[in-house]
Amino acid sequence: MRCLVIIAAAFITASLSACVTSTVDEALFNSPSKGIGDATVVILGRRHASDYETEPGFIDCVGKHITAHDPSIEVIDELSFINELYPWFEPRTAPLHPQDIELLLQKKLVAQKLQALGTRYMIWIDGSTVRSDSAGSLACGVGPGGAGCFGFGTWDDDSSYEVTIWDFNRRAEVGRINTTASGQSYMPAVIVPIPIIAPVQVTACDSVGEQLLQFLSSEY
Amino acid sequence: MQKLPLNIALWYDEAFSQHEFFDQAKGRSGSSWIVKTGEAQVDLWNTLLPGMFQQVRLLTEAPQKGSTIAGVDAILVPHIEELQYAIPAHTQIKVYEIWLRYRFELLSPSGAPLAEWSMTAYGKTPTAFLQSDEEAVNLAAVVALRDAGANFASQFRRVAPLQSWLANHLQQGTGPQQLSSQNIHSETALQTQRGVAQ
Repeated sequence: MRCLVIIAAAFITASLSACVTSTVDEALFNSPSKGIGDATVVILGRRHASDYETEPGFIDCVGKHITAHDPSIEVIDELSFINELYPWFEPRTAPLHPQDIELLLQKKLVAQKLQALGTRYMIWIDGSTVRSDSAGSLACGVGPGGAGCFGFGTWDDDSSYEVTIWDFNRRAEVGRINTTASGQSYMPAVIVPIPIIAPVQVTACDSVGEQLLQFLSSEY
Repeated sequence: MQKLPLNIALWYDEAFSQHEFFDQAKGRSGSSWIVKTGEAQVDLWNTLLPGMFQQVRLLTEAPQKGSTIAGVDAILVPHIEELQYAIPAHTQIKVYEIWLRYRFELLSPSGAPLAEWSMTAYGKTPTAFLQSDEEAVNLAAVVALRDAGANFASQFRRVAPLQSWLANHLQQGTGPQQLSSQNIHSETALQTQRGVAQ
C-alpha cells in the first residue's frame, strides 16, 4: 500500500508544475537576415552588482536553448571564453559599453584571440532569480511504523534579466531584451511531500533563448 | 598581455605560501571558519607572472640585504595583509564574499627596497540550491583570486610607487646580468608562455 502511495506521489510530482507568468520586451536592430554563418556567439553574465550575481546556470541554459533549436549556431562556453581572454573579462576589467570594444581590440592578443574564435556577437545578461516570499510549514517524522510528512508550504520566485547584444563588427549595441517571470510553487504533504514547482527561471531562460534565436537564426 | 622586458625573482615567505585565515565562532550558534588560500595563491601567481614578465624565477631562500641575486632586475615579494569573509548568515544578502588585501614589496637584486604598494581583491558567489557554505566560500575565494590576478595585471604599470623605477628601468634597457646565484632553483624557474592575453 505504502509503495503504491509513493509511486502515485512520484507520478503526480512528475506531471504537475505550477503556473508562471512571463513578460518579454525586445528591441532588436540589424538582425543578420541570413543567420550568423561561421561566426560564433558568446553569452556572458554581468557580475558587477553588490547584492546579486547573474547565475552561471542561467547563462548555460540560454546557450543550450539556442544550440538545441538551431545547431548551426556555435555558442562559446562562458568559462572557456573568460579563461581564454583572462584577465580582460573579469568583473573588474570587462567592457561595460560598446565603445569599450575598440579599446579592447587595440590589445593585439585579445584581437587575435577573438578573431581566432570568430566571435561576432557578444551577449551580456544581467539579472537574477530570487525567492520573494514564502509561507506555510511542513513537519516530517520517523517512527517504528514508518516515516511521513504533513503540512503545506508555498513560495514565490521572481526572475528579472536584461540582455544586451553587441556586434563586434559594427562595434555597437544591436539589441536589448528584458524579461521578467514570476510564479508560486506549492508543497502539500500528506505522508509524502508533493512538490508542485513553478519553473520560473526555466521560463525566463526559454523566453530569452527564443528572442535570441529570432535575432541570430535564419530559421526563425 | 605584452610582456614587460623584466627578469623578476619571486619570493613567497611561509606566511604567504601557507596562508590560512581562522575565525573563531562567536557563540554557540555560530561556526568557526578556516579559509586556506596559501596553495591557491602560489598557483595563481606562478601562472600569472610568467605571462606578464619576460622571465620569472622562483627563489628558494629569502632575499637578504648584502647578498645580490644576479640575473634579475628586481625581486617581488607578495604578502597577504588581510582576509575578510561574509556569508548570508552575517549579511542577510544571498551572496558569499571574500575580500583580500595584499601588500607587494619590490626589492633590488641586492635586497634594498624599491617600492611597496597595496592591492585589494574581491570575490563573491550567489547562494545555490544544495550548495554548502564551504563550497560557496571556496567559489568566492576562487573569484577573489581571479580578481587579484586581473587587478595586478591590469594595474601594474599604473602603480604610483613603481612608475619612476619602471620608467627608468625600461628606458635604460640594461639587460640583467647572467644568472648565477645559487639561491635560484633552476628546476622551478617559471619560464612558461602561459598567461595573460593582451
